[in-house]
Amino acid sequence: MNLQEKIRILAAAAKYDVSCSSSGSDRANQPGGIGSAAKAGICHSFADDGRCISLLKILYSNHCIYDCAYCVNRRSNDIQRTTFTVKELVDLTIGFYRRNYIEGLFLSSGVINNPDFTMERLVRVARELRQIHRFNGYIHLKTIPGASSRLVKEAALYADRLSVNIEIPSEGNLKMLAPEKDYPSVLSPMSLIKEGIVQYKEERRIYRHTPLFAPAGQSTQLIIGATPDSDRQILSLAGNLYATQNLKRVYYSGYNPTNLYDSRLPAITAPPLKRENRLYQSDWLMRFYHFSVDEIVNDAHPDLDLSVDPKLSYALRNPHIFPIDVNSADHHMLLRIPGVGPKSAKMILAARRFRKLNSHHLRKIGVVMKRAQYFITCHELPTATIQELQPERVRSMLTMDLRKQSLPNAHQLSLW
Amino acid sequence: MLEYLYDGTFAGLLTAIFHAFRRKEYPDVILRPQGQRLLFATTHTVETDDVMAQRVLNGIERYGGKTTCEQLLHAFLSQSDNVEILILQYARELFFQKRPIMADLGNSFVLQIHKLDRRVLREVQRVLMFIRFERSADGIYFAPFAPKYDVLPLAVGHFKHRFADQQWAIYDTLRDYGFHYHGKRVEQITINAPAFSRDSGKLSVEMEHENEDDYREMWREYFRSIAISERLNPTLQRNFMPKRFWKYLTEKRI
Repeated sequence: MNLQEKIRILAAAAKYDVSCSSSGSDRANQPGGIGSAAKAGICHSFADDGRCISLLKILYSNHCIYDCAYCVNRRSNDIQRTTFTVKELVDLTIGFYRRNYIEGLFLSSGVINNPDFTMERLVRVARELRQIHRFNGYIHLKTIPGASSRLVKEAALYADRLSVNIEIPSEGNLKMLAPEKDYPSVLSPMSLIKEGIVQYKEERRIYRHTPLFAPAGQSTQLIIGATPDSDRQILSLAGNLYATQNLKRVYYSGYNPTNLYDSRLPAITAPPLKRENRLYQSDWLMRFYHFSVDEIVNDAHPDLDLSVDPKLSYALRNPHIFPIDVNSADHHMLLRIPGVGPKSAKMILAARRFRKLNSHHLRKIGVVMKRAQYFITCHELPTATIQELQPERVRSMLTMDLRKQSLPNAHQLSLW
Repeated sequence: MLEYLYDGTFAGLLTAIFHAFRRKEYPDVILRPQGQRLLFATTHTVETDDVMAQRVLNGIERYGGKTTCEQLLHAFLSQSDNVEILILQYARELFFQKRPIMADLGNSFVLQIHKLDRRVLREVQRVLMFIRFERSADGIYFAPFAPKYDVLPLAVGHFKHRFADQQWAIYDTLRDYGFHYHGKRVEQITINAPAFSRDSGKLSVEMEHENEDDYREMWREYFRSIAISERLNPTLQRNFMPKRFWKYLTEKRI
C-alpha cells in the first residue's frame, strides 16, 4: 500500500477526534532545529466541514483489539486496516511542516497487541521528531488507556499536549458500549500527568532549565448523544475535570452514526449539532465567564435549552440580578449580561474610565445590543428591561427574531 | 478647504502631522499621491523629512508608549479612506492629554484606530496561516501571496524564527516585492522575470523539486479525508478561509 493510501485511511479514521488546537505552548526554535510553537496556536486550513486543520491529525494504526460500539475502528467493523512505520510518519510530519501546511502532529492510534506496545510506538515517533530532527513544532499525543506510567511520563517529555479520551460521560454506559474499558484505566494516566505537571512547575521555579513536561497540558473528549446521559451529567463531569485534573479543554463530539446495526446505540441519521453547540457554549461559560455548573444546569433544568443559548437561559431564569449598570458593575457581573463577551467586558472596563458609556458606545464597542438591551442600564434614559417586560416576553421577543432570520429558506406558496 | 499632499509613506504622514502643528492649521484631508483631489482647495505639499517624522514619533512614544506607535502604524497600513486624518486627530488628542488614550474606546476616532489595528493584525495572522511553501529545484521554499494590506514585513519575523534552518522566500505578487531568507538574514527582493505564474502563484514545472508533487498530492489527500461528510459546512469554511486566498492554497487550488 502506498503512502497516499495510508494517509487516506488513517486520516479518515482519526477525523472523529475533534480536538485540533495547537495552543498553550511557546516552545522556541533551538539553533539548528526546525520549527517553533505559537502560544495562541495557528490554524492552517479549514476542511470542508468547516473545522480547522492545525495539526496533522492522524492515527498510527487503525488496527484495534477493542470492540467499542461507538468507535469506527472497532474490531468488529469491516474496514480497511493499515499501519504507518515510524519513519513514514516522521518524514511526513517534517515535510508538511516545512511547507507551512501544519503546526505539528496530533498522533493517536488504535490499540495494537496491547496498550504498552502501542504507546511505545507513539512515543518513538515523538522522540525521533524531537531528538533526531530537532523538531520544535507542536506535538499532541494520545495517551493509550492502560499504558504503563513510564511510557506516559516519557511521552510528556516530548509532547506539548497529551490527551486521553473519556468518550462516554458515565461509567455505567461506558461499560455497556465498551465492555473492555473502564474509568480507572482512563483516569489514572490523567492524574499521573497532572501530578507531573504540578511537579514540573515547582521545579521550574527553582531551576529554569527543567526539561519541559507537557507544557500545553491535557485535554479529553466526550461523545454526545450516543448514550442517554443528561447535559447535567456531562457538564458536571467536565466541571469536575477542570477543577480536579486541571484540564485545558474538554471537547464534545456529537455522535456520528458510525455503527448502524448495534441496538445499544440510538438510531439517528445526523449528529446532534445543536446540542453539541450548546454544550460548547456552556463550556465557555465555565472557563471564561466565571459560571459554575449549577448555574447552567441543575435539578430543575437538567438539560440545556436548545432554543436559546445557555447564558440567555440563565438570565431568563434569574431576572432578579438585572438590569446591570454597565458604568458601575464589576467584571464578574458584566460577564453575566447576555450580549457581552470577555472582549467587550474588558473594553467596557477600560473605556468607562474616560467617560460614561451610553448604548451608542456599547454598540460601537461590539456589545450585541439586540440581546443586551433588556438586561442593562447605561448613561441614558431608562428603557424597558426584563424587570418591566417579564422573562417570558423577553424570551419570545428574542426567539422571534431568530425565527425571522431563518425565514429566507421558506418559499412563498404559488397562487396557482 | 485645506489639503495636504504627502508621498504615501508613514514617515511622510508623520512629517505632515509635524507641518500641521508648526503651521498651526488643521487640514481637511491628507492625500496620498493617488488620492482624490478636492475641487476648490488650498494645497500644501509635504516633503518627507526624517528628522521631523522622528520627532513626531518620539512624541507619540513618549505619551502613548510603543504600543500606540505600533497601533498607529498598523492603522496606517490599512490604507483605509481618511486614515491620515484619523491619525492626525489621534496625535492631537494624545499631545493634548499627555497620557495614553488607547483605552478611551468611547471616543470615536480612538475606537476606529483600534478597529483598523485589529483588521491589519488579522491579515498578518492570515499570512502566518495561509502561506504555502513549494520546494524549488535549488532547494528554496517559495511562497507567493497577495495580502490585502502591505503586511509582509510584519510577518517575516515569525518565519525567520520558525524556519531558521531552511532557505525560503515569500513574495507579495500584488505589490511586487518579497523577502528571501538565506540561512542568516532576511533580505528584501524584487523578482524581474518570475518563474512562477502570477495568477496561480504556482512554480513552473521545471523549477519544481522532483518530489514536490508527491507532497502536494498527499496533503490534498489528507485534506479530503479529514472532513466529516455528515457535517459539510461550506459557508463556515469560507468564513474562516475567504476565497481570495484559495489560489495560493495547495489544498484548494485546482
